[in-house]
Amino acid sequence: MTEGHASPVRASLTEGPIDTAAATDAVAGATCGAVVVFLGNVRNHHGGRTVTELAYSAYRPMAQARLEQIVTELEGAATGLRVAIVHRLGVVPIGEASVVIAVASPHRQAAYEASRTALERLKREVPIWKRETYDDGSATWREEEALAPA
Amino acid sequence: MQIRVLAFATAADVIGKEPVEIDLEAGATVDSLGASLCQQFPALEPIWPRLAVAVDGEVVRGSRTLEADAEVALLPPVSGGSIVRDARP
Repeated sequence: MTEGHASPVRASLTEGPIDTAAATDAVAGATCGAVVVFLGNVRNHHGGRTVTELAYSAYRPMAQARLEQIVTELEGAATGLRVAIVHRLGVVPIGEASVVIAVASPHRQAAYEASRTALERLKREVPIWKRETYDDGSATWREEEALAPA
Repeated sequence: MQIRVLAFATAADVIGKEPVEIDLEAGATVDSLGASLCQQFPALEPIWPRLAVAVDGEVVRGSRTLEADAEVALLPPVSGGSIVRDARP
């Protein structure tokens, strides 16, 4: 058993490049036969426009708390599952990862599912915004429409 | 009482990235804070209905009463949708 090797990267925000290996090491262990690593990379296009730069900003204390909550809830829902989520802030160059999600589990199905859920919850629940700059020099905050009131 | 307001993304483009101090009467709600802010920053008015409002890190309804020294954050929708979810009336 490699229980209890708690790592500081399990839910974190960072200004520099994300250390994918560290995120993976934080969750992998002798009890886990499956490790799923998801990289969310910055791409050079959106809606037919050429994107030259993406910058992320966050309401940090709340973003940190919500990332930790997602990790805790996912781990609590499946036996032996371990999750690490690292999100980069500031300018992220094209082709580099803005988010890394590493999930380790005794079996692969739970790891795949938790990886997907972690990303979808992250995009809906964590106060992190991205600003796209285009090749014509214009820039915009990417926002989806607010949900209709319940 | 003084309320500290932080804004992000499109809301920060309107009121600035630095915290704004707003003076409100005791018992003021999130909605009355919104009215004061929109008066001070008219460009905020079209954005306001889309914002989630967090008080001390927790998303609250417009009817929530504010305490003195509260930290209020204006949170535009995030890329996967609104973090408001069902918190606004």
